[in-house]
Amino acid sequence: MKSTIPVIIAFLSGLAMVAAFILSPGKFGDVGGELLRWVSIIAGFTLLLGVISIVRVNIRPVMRREKGWYNKLALLLAVAATGIPAVLPVSWSPMLGTGDNSIYDWLFNNMNAPMMSTMFAMLAFYIASAAFRAFRARNTEATMLLVTAVIVMLWRVPMGESLFASIHPDLPQGINNYVMGGINIAVQRRIIIGSAMEAATMGLRIMLGIERTYMGGSSK
Amino acid sequence: MSIWEKIGNVDRRWIYLAVALTVIFPVIFPLKLPMNVTPEARQLYDAIEALPDSCVVMLTFDYYASATAETRPVSIAALHHLFRKNIKVVTMTTIPLGGPSMASEVTRLMAKEYGKTYGVDYVNLGYKANYTAVLLGMGTSIEGIYPTDQYGTHLAELPLMQRVKNYEDISFIFIVADNGIVDNWISIVNAQFNKPMGAGVTAVMAPKFYSYLQANQMIGLLGGMKGAAEYEMLVNKPSMAVSGMNSQSLVHLLIIGFVVLGNVAFFAARRRKGTSE
Repeated sequence: MKSTIPVIIAFLSGLAMVAAFILSPGKFGDVGGELLRWVSIIAGFTLLLGVISIVRVNIRPVMRREKGWYNKLALLLAVAATGIPAVLPVSWSPMLGTGDNSIYDWLFNNMNAPMMSTMFAMLAFYIASAAFRAFRARNTEATMLLVTAVIVMLWRVPMGESLFASIHPDLPQGINNYVMGGINIAVQRRIIIGSAMEAATMGLRIMLGIERTYMGGSSK
Repeated sequence: MSIWEKIGNVDRRWIYLAVALTVIFPVIFPLKLPMNVTPEARQLYDAIEALPDSCVVMLTFDYYASATAETRPVSIAALHHLFRKNIKVVTMTTIPLGGPSMASEVTRLMAKEYGKTYGVDYVNLGYKANYTAVLLGMGTSIEGIYPTDQYGTHLAELPLMQRVKNYEDISFIFIVADNGIVDNWISIVNAQFNKPMGAGVTAVMAPKFYSYLQANQMIGLLGGMKGAAEYEMLVNKPSMAVSGMNSQSLVHLLIIGFVVLGNVAFFAARRRKGTSE
């Protein structure tokens, strides 16, 4: 019973969405739209669930002074400092809520954004180091990858574009057509079609109750 | 140890220093490199240019703060183009962390420059959880998904949203993203609601979306900072992306140099080792 009811709900919800998509709205009412509003509301609660989960996971190591507890404390303080002022009503103070010039906004613009940008920018250094140490033409496949990477890297910047154009005026467009619009598309389509089929299969498995890991247990 | 082995084992801090200097140098001494506009950027520009006066475009801010170097210039250039053409703009985001803040900051900046009024010329819808439900639900009713805008005002109170009920009332969707959300925009909104759309994405994401471009599911595509720079050139507002291409050009050349040097050192060392054995 504990797992049957969720499976029935999943089946009916899935069926309603498929029917709403296939049938015209007049024949089926706005069941699809109504379900989507439910999904949107439930999804809001999942964010709350995420906050509860992160607090539960991290508070115990802090209380027990486990290894690296101060990192977890910093995380909890960050969650509290960002979350609490953001959910309190703006009517109490203009610094509350998530609007312009709020505490949340200030923390995002002056702490979160610079930290995220810094982490992302550091990739350039690691990529340069990895390119020097690991990108080797050891065999035919690796050589093809390396040559293509070099061509695309040059083509994507004005300096390289000018270099190619000096060899032949149509060469930059030729690279666009044959590498990005040819080889690349063939590979990408295979991935997109494969993942779409996988998503459809997974949807069907959930609807039919074969896939039950979303309920916290293992698949049947 | 031979010279090639020494090169192969160079301290990585020298590599980091070379990268840092290569990035900083063109910022201090701009190179003013000539730049071509790719057909996919031109197509996006032409699609916006062909839109009628006072129509509505949805502009998305589907990116995290980490990718702003590549995506923010696209948002700014897009708003230059849209506001200059007197097109109404509705923004939204599928990114909870900072998406609404960035949308608010960029639109406010651009609205001030073009004298646009909030609620009349543009609206920020903000973020709602579960992007699949959001993208699908807006096809039926935007108000059903977003009862209020980003600042808590009911949509019915905003003059612009009184005439924008769902995708039917939106002429074009301009996606700016740093993640795979573009797939969902294509598979949900383009495929099911037949909405024309174009995208400005990070360079690492761009190759994936060429297939949508070729299938005409997407009208135009701006890939990475280069794409952003191309759009800045097209709207005649060269800014951060155009100047950033100087650093990116040199860093790309440096990395290619490292790849070549690393391989030469590797094969020379291996050959020497084979000869000595």
